[in-house]
Order: sequence, then C-alpha cells, then structure tokens
Amino acid sequence: MGIGIDVGSTTTKGVLLDSSGKVVAKSLMLTGASAIQAVEKTLHSISSLSNINLKDIPVISTGYGRARVELAIKSVTEITCHSVGVHHINPNIRLLIDVGGQDAKAIRIGPSGRPEDFELNDKCSAGTGRFLEVMARVLEVSLDDLGPLALQSKKPSSISSTCTVFAESEVIGHIGAGESAADIAAGVHVSMVSKISALSKRVGVQEPVCVTGGVALNPAFVYYLSNQLGTELWVPEDPQLTGALGAAVIALEKKGKTT
Amino acid sequence: MTEERASEEKPYRRLETQTLLQQIAFRHGLEAMQASENGELAWVTSGFPVEIPIAMNLGVVYPEQAGAIIGAQKIGPDVCGFAEDLGYSQDLCSYARASIGSTEKPEEVPMGSLPTPQILLACNNICGTVLRWYDAISEMTGAPVFLLDTPPIEKEQLPHNQEYVRRGVERLIEFIGSHFNRTLEEDRIHEVANLSSKATKLWIRALEACKNKPSPLNCADRFLTMAPVVSSRGTEHCVEFYESFVEEVEERVKNGVGAIRDEKVRLLWDNIPPWHTLRFFNMLASRGVGFPADTYTHAWTGNMVGIDTPSIIDEVVETYSKVYLNMGLDAKVDKMCQLINDYDLDGFVMFSVRSCKRYSLGQLVSKEIVTERTGVPGVIIEGDMVDSRVYNAAQIETRVDALLEMLM
Repeated sequence: MGIGIDVGSTTTKGVLLDSSGKVVAKSLMLTGASAIQAVEKTLHSISSLSNINLKDIPVISTGYGRARVELAIKSVTEITCHSVGVHHINPNIRLLIDVGGQDAKAIRIGPSGRPEDFELNDKCSAGTGRFLEVMARVLEVSLDDLGPLALQSKKPSSISSTCTVFAESEVIGHIGAGESAADIAAGVHVSMVSKISALSKRVGVQEPVCVTGGVALNPAFVYYLSNQLGTELWVPEDPQLTGALGAAVIALEKKGKTT
Repeated sequence: MTEERASEEKPYRRLETQTLLQQIAFRHGLEAMQASENGELAWVTSGFPVEIPIAMNLGVVYPEQAGAIIGAQKIGPDVCGFAEDLGYSQDLCSYARASIGSTEKPEEVPMGSLPTPQILLACNNICGTVLRWYDAISEMTGAPVFLLDTPPIEKEQLPHNQEYVRRGVERLIEFIGSHFNRTLEEDRIHEVANLSSKATKLWIRALEACKNKPSPLNCADRFLTMAPVVSSRGTEHCVEFYESFVEEVEERVKNGVGAIRDEKVRLLWDNIPPWHTLRFFNMLASRGVGFPADTYTHAWTGNMVGIDTPSIIDEVVETYSKVYLNMGLDAKVDKMCQLINDYDLDGFVMFSVRSCKRYSLGQLVSKEIVTERTGVPGVIIEGDMVDSRVYNAAQIETRVDALLEMLM
C-alpha cells in the first residue's frame, strides 16, 4: 500500500492506495494555521475511513507544506505528483492545468507520466483560486455559487486589471455602474482565464487537456478556459486529489523497489 | 536545510585561493581610499573600459561590486531602504538603490560604502539605468559624470556606430585629461591593456577548465573569484592572483577533484546571482547538483589583445561594444546553447532578476528556444540580486526541485 499527502496552501489532501493502485481512502480538509496538525488529522481520517493501521505504509509528501510531513520517506514537488496522479487515472493526458489556492501550473506530461516542461504563475494571486475567493466576497456570493452565477451572463463585464487588488476596485466600480452580478462574475472568470491560457500556451497546448485543483470544480472557469484554448477539457472525478494520488502512486513505486 | 558540518564533510570544497582573494580585496579597498584622499578616484560601471582611467593613473571602484557586498551581508533591504526613503522606487535596480542608499548614509554601511569619488565614469553597454544612477550620485557628491554611449548591437556593429563609440572613447581621454591635467601615455596604455588581456586570458582558462567532469569550480566559486577581473584588470596583482587561481584549478582537474563532492547533475546558471542567498548553490551541491557554467562570469571574457594591434582605441571600441548585455537576444541564446553543449550540461536555471531588466527581458522566449535547440530542460525562478524582499525561497525551491525531478 502507499499513502500520499498533499499539504496545499488552502487544503490538505490525503490518499491511501492498495497494492493494485486502487483508492482505499481519501481525505480533504482545510490546512488552517498548522500544517502539522492538518497532516495528523488527515492520517487519522484515512486510517478510520479504511479501518487500516497505517504503520509501516510508506508516505510521500507534496505541496507547499511537504517538508512539514515528518514521517514521509521523501517529499516530491506537486508538479511531479500531479503529473503522476493524472497519468494514473488517464494515461492519455498530455497537458495538465492545475489551479490551486495560491498557484497555477501548466505541465506537459510525457508518455511515462513524468513532467517534461512546466510553467508556474508569478508571485501574484491573479489567476489562482484566491482571486476567485476575493471576487466572490465582493459580489456577496459563496465561492460555490460564483461559477453558476457567471454562466448566466450573456455579456461579461470587462475587467482589464490582472492584479487582484486593482481588479477588486474595478469590480466595485462595475457594481456602482449598475452592471449585473452575473456579468461581473463572468468578467472575473474571463480575466482569470486569460492569465491561465497564456501560461498553458507557453508550455504548449497538446490534447487531451486535463484541469485539476480546486478551481476545476468551478464550471464557469472550465467553460471559459475551454473556449479560450479551443479544446475540450477533461476534469477528473476528484480534481483536488490528483497531487495526493500521485504522491501515493510514487509511494507504491518506492515500496515495490524496496521489497 | 544543511547543518553546519566540519569542512571535510561539506558537500563543496573551499578554494585555497580564497585567502588571496580577501587580501586582494583589502588591498583594493586601501588603494581606493588613498586615491580618494589624493583626489583621483573614479567610480566606474562594470562594463566600462577601465584600462583608460587606470592607464591615466586614477584609482577605480565599482558600485556594482559594493552592491554585491551589501547583498552578501544581507543588509540589502536596509540599504535599498535608505534610497527608497529619498523617494526612489522599489522597482529601480537594487545595485543603484544600494549605491544611492550607501552614499546617503555611509556610516550605516561600513563594508559597502565607497570612498568619495572625484569623477563618475558610466558606460551604458550594461544598461541604461547607469546614467540616471550616476547622475544621482553626482548630485550627492559633486563629482562630474562622463557617459560612454555604446549603441546596442543586434548582429554586427554598424560602421557609423563604431565611429561614434570611437569618438566617445577619444572624448573620455580628453575629459579625464582636462579634469586631472594629465595625458594618456602610449606606453602606459599598452602596458595596462597587456596586463588586462593577461588576466582575462587566465580567467578564461579557469572557466574552460570547468568543462571537465567533475567541474573544478561551482557557481559560487566563480562569482567570488571574478571580483579581480572585474575590478582590478590592468594591474600586476590581478594577473598574479589569476596565476595562483589557475594553478589551483588545474591542480584540481589533474587530480580529478571537483568543486562539489559528488557531481551528479550539471546545470547552467543565467543572470546575476542572488548575493544574499549564495547558499542556494551549496544546498544544491549537497544533492549532487553543480553549475559548471553561467552566463554572468562568462560575460567578463572580452579579451583585450593589447600588444598586437595598431590601435588600442579600436580595441577598446570593439571589446566594450560587444559585451554580453549589449548584444541582442539571439546572441544571448547562442551563448547559452554554446555553454550547454561545450560544458555538457543537463539543464539550466534562469534567474529572472527584478532589478536587471536588460539581463532578464526575453527569458521566457529564450528558455523555449534554448530547450528546443539543446534538448535540455530549464526553469525560470524569480527574485533579486541584492533586495532579498522579493526572493521567495519556497517558490524557488519548488521550481528547482521540479526541474531536478525531471533530471534525476
């Protein structure tokens, strides 16, 4: 068996695989202020869900808090883990776009499932989940409702700024000008998608394309990104868990090597 | 990440010549102070044809080098802050901010402030910022500025530009001559150019020794040992230093001794280093990752052939117009590809330096082209050479680790 733990900026994810590579248990919770506690809770959750004692099962950690997972036999970057995780469920995928809470990545996956090239967003929250969180707050809707609201729009507002802070004041300006919340929400997605599509094009859009990360759950994001890239996007069942899944696959591989 | 360990266990080896390097730096500092007291100290930019002021018996110091020292002392944010307090933007080059900041409050920057200049010599072959920066220093110190204008070169230098730079060099000689009431002696400039050429040739020999596996020098070694070829070329003691240095480097090669203990991966470094975090290279060394070549130290390989040519001035025009940063993007890409092939490198790390637009512009495009032409992967990391406030270690680590996972 193998365990993968992905300590992200917003959420911590865990996956337990059996020796055939099937998911036995999975967990997702907010990282909060203590990454160490989030890891403990995740392990506890996986253990009680699967009813398995996790002792002696190898753990691979990933995500920004990967160094905080003390019992991990190794930490691997989320870039490699997402590639391996997506490859595990769909070996055909060649471009992976992962949009999480604080970063966005475009990764070209080679035939072996390992990354061949990648680009990450710069030091800026535009084009990440945080951007949508801020905009949802301004529009007074929940994050889950932001996407469906945007899809009602026929004429997205224009948001020229790519900076979260300036875009926020631009949105407030649109509200003042009486534009509908749906149009503004759609404008927010269009603006975000323009950054992500530029990132993806730098790596090269090779089909089939997959979207993962928390933002992949947002239907408006997937709709506008698909339009912008001119291609269908495949979203796995648990798009937030592919990093942890990849880590668990690597843990299995490691175990295979040592036994 | 790495604990302090006994020297013999460290993943990298210290150069014996480092002691000499400290001596030469100390001597250089004393000479500069003396020159300033005598009323004959010039501040020069890193790409300036320094052979001319040296041949006219001026002392020279490099504010960029002082910036590197400020960065290495980890006081970059404080010293840049002094310039920001005067109203300079955080987007301004951190070498310029460190220089302006340390001139404003020299007592706060004991190791990084330079003796008062009598003349400021700027050449824009490295960037356009130098002119405004030296203007600011001129306002603060009263020293006059001379700008040697070298139009950028896309492919070949156009004849009218060559003539233009030539006149600039002649004006420089007149400017120094009238300011200090002295002339440029033919014998002396030949002597200085010859010494400069000797030092540069030795430097190239040390760099090229890094083609060996394992490489006898890592990135941080070259960043430190490049100091004399930048600041003291054209002097006897500079040549002496590089003679000892090359001897040590070639001894390492002969004995198969590497700069790092267990070289597994060889990478190219592009751009100025993060002076505040040189341990970046040592941390990678502990994982078997070395940097046998970089574009920064290779930029000082312009070679003055002092004795064989009829005109030293033509030589100066040629050498200083064609410095790395004064050439177009194609030349930069060619250089990177050449280094990757010649030094048999597995990948490359491009440091996108917020301060240095001239160096960093075009990296996104050149990264693609370099990978296409050489077949090796690369990664871009962001930060700054002096201002550690814009250096995000966690983001950099993730990017570099991902590159290494592709290679190892």
